[in-house]
Amino acid sequence: MDLRYSDADIAFRASARNWLSSNVPSHRRPAHGPEAARFDRDWQRKLFEHGWAGVAWPKEYGGLGLSGLQQVIWYEELARARAPHHINTTYVALMHAGPTLIARGTDAQKAFHLPRILSGESLWCQGFSEPGAGSDLAALTTRGVIEGDEIVVNGAKMWTTDARYADYQELLIRTEPGSERHKGLTWVICDMSLPGIEVKPVRTMMMDAHVNMVFYENVRIPLANVVGEVGKGWSTALATLSFERGLGFIGDQLELAERVERAIELAGKVRTETGKYAIEDESIAQRLAALKADTMAIRAMTLAEIAESDRTGVPGPNGSVMKLMVTATHKALSELAGDLLGWEFLEFDGDRGAHPWTYDYLWSWVFSIAGGTNEIQREIIADRLLNLPKAR
Amino acid sequence: MNLAPDSGEAQIAEAAADFLLGSLGRARLHRVGTADLSAEQRGEVGGLGWFGLALPEQSGGSGLSAVEHALFFREAGRQCAPVDLLAQSLAANMPVGAALRESVLGGAVGVGLAVEDAGTLRVYGNPLAEFAIAVRPQGAALYRMAGVKAETRPSLVPSSTLRVIAGMPPVEAEAELPDLWVLGELATAAMLVGIAEAALELIAEYAKVRETFGRKIGAYQAVRHPCADMLVRIEAARAQLYFAATAIKEAHPSAQAHLDAAKHLANQAALANSDANIQLHGGIGVTEEHDAHLLHKQALLLSRLFGARRAVLANLLHQELAA
Ligand SMILES: Cc1cc2nc3c(=O)[nH]c(=O)nc-3n(C[C@H](O)[C@H](O)[C@H](O)COP(=O)(O)OP(=O)(O)OC[C@H]3O[C@@H](n4cnc5c(N)ncnc54)[C@H](O)[C@@H]3O)c2cc1C
Repeated sequence: MDLRYSDADIAFRASARNWLSSNVPSHRRPAHGPEAARFDRDWQRKLFEHGWAGVAWPKEYGGLGLSGLQQVIWYEELARARAPHHINTTYVALMHAGPTLIARGTDAQKAFHLPRILSGESLWCQGFSEPGAGSDLAALTTRGVIEGDEIVVNGAKMWTTDARYADYQELLIRTEPGSERHKGLTWVICDMSLPGIEVKPVRTMMMDAHVNMVFYENVRIPLANVVGEVGKGWSTALATLSFERGLGFIGDQLELAERVERAIELAGKVRTETGKYAIEDESIAQRLAALKADTMAIRAMTLAEIAESDRTGVPGPNGSVMKLMVTATHKALSELAGDLLGWEFLEFDGDRGAHPWTYDYLWSWVFSIAGGTNEIQREIIADRLLNLPKAR
Repeated sequence: MNLAPDSGEAQIAEAAADFLLGSLGRARLHRVGTADLSAEQRGEVGGLGWFGLALPEQSGGSGLSAVEHALFFREAGRQCAPVDLLAQSLAANMPVGAALRESVLGGAVGVGLAVEDAGTLRVYGNPLAEFAIAVRPQGAALYRMAGVKAETRPSLVPSSTLRVIAGMPPVEAEAELPDLWVLGELATAAMLVGIAEAALELIAEYAKVRETFGRKIGAYQAVRHPCADMLVRIEAARAQLYFAATAIKEAHPSAQAHLDAAKHLANQAALANSDANIQLHGGIGVTEEHDAHLLHKQALLLSRLFGARRAVLANLLHQELAA
């Protein structure tokens, strides 16, 4: 084992740090709406124009073709520079739609979409979950009927993050009438501007409406938009989920270390009911130190996982272990921040920039529910890593 | 940068696992009179060079590093090895004369582990051992135990005998050597990771065979989900252990902080996993004939050695981390 960085790694960190020091937007991201999406696109375009987009994407698809380790370095530098958070309206496109197309798309699909994803020109959303199919995704019923060289889609999707701003959607539908469960599904690229699509925002407890219901009424999608094979969509969907659950939260998990340092700083400034600085309270100091240890472990786990995925080329089921670790740490940190901030924690208008700790506290449930709930992650671990008898 | 053991490191770990299972396997603790490292076992361990893994070759060691030291002790942890094993290995790193070092390395003389507790010394290990080592964060002392009056106390931990000594025995050697604490903290963290792993292995096997209400208990989520959480604790503690061991090997400026984080995570993983392992076994889990209590009792001892929760966390809080 070794912890040394190569000269190339060191040079990469230095140039990333240097560039970010003068290019991170000085104004805060707007809290909601199309202005927020515009802010995200602009930042992605800037990264693209200066050669920082797609750090770990292969060169042939416009990425930098750098190693997993350099990707880690990049996210660490983003966190250090307090650059815009990577879970924003570009997230689905960059972290799983793009990688899915790279792995399973046709040449034409790649040639059209990948450059647009990297430059921030197209935003994507994910249309997998439905009102009756969340954890049990294979219960989905939105159907597509093949007519000539088109698929005609009818049904409804639920929880589609950022559907209002997205140009395209990863749409998973049932294309074989009478098929059940994982069979007869198709993964198709849906252009969100097609006639027959209606998007209805759903307000959340974060006081925003970034999730939506999406209704499809005779939406005609060209067959050429199918990714993978018609009827074999489950396999493509698993690829998408492996990217999402694998290193999809890498930016977030590395940023946690930075946020723990901020919490330590905060604890040196605020006072508890006893009038002492919070950091002088042993129970708070211990919780902060334990969180610091957790983020150090998360970094070590990320580096170990990177070594593994650089070797095998695919993210493994360890993503589920990581997600449990990261969500638990995120939650404990958010709770601690609430204790530090006291009454101020209860001031909130939905703006993450203005009230980051309260926002992240509320977000901790999104983190442990979206992308497969923590209970489902435990099921995956029990089945695939521990080989326990099946629960279902 | 690589955080997975390379083939040489993996070979050492495998050899350690085979040897320890064969010579000091956990099953030994179900027979009477098996606490501590006997003189014969000590000679066997020493003969194979396991006491000097991190010691330079010119001092008679294997000239390997903190990484191999950690990999060896992780396997020792799985077997609930007696703490003499650690004491002996630490003593081999003390600045003593060549002849004494050779006797320690080869196992001709024995060393117990001494812990200072309010003016007394608690000594764990073989009561016939000639020496005992006490390690502090900044230094260590090797005491001569021959003729020292010690009171045997009942030990909760089956692997190790406990004696208490009032006053300080004669000093054989003393050293201002922070490295010794580092090796001790690393080895205990490694043993705790081994315990956390062994606990999950036991329950994962049992969950595949034990049936209730016509189903294997491993099909119940109330069993499956705590098992998944056990794996999360293991992966976190093990990744950080490897990071810390490598940081020590490379004299990384933040090595101590990484070690403190590793010890904290290992304390937590071993205690929580060995606890869950007892609970998820049901009644059989509290019987003496089962290994479950051995793992938990060993964790109770090791989590107090070389940095209990409060101490490691207090150290960790304000240490800066270099990239
Ligand atoms: C903010 C937010 C954003 C989202 N964004 C998207 C998106 O962009 N695209 C998209 O497709 N989806 C998205 N999702 C949907 C998300 O993937 C689902 O909410 C999630 O998979 C859970 O499904 P569900 O909500 O139907 O809950 P259910 O499946 O009904 O689960 C209810 C409860 O039962 C538990 N449970 C269910 N099955 C089991 C089991 N077998 N064993 C143990 N416990 C079980 C769950 O853990 C949960 O606690 C988003 C969700 C949220 C909250």
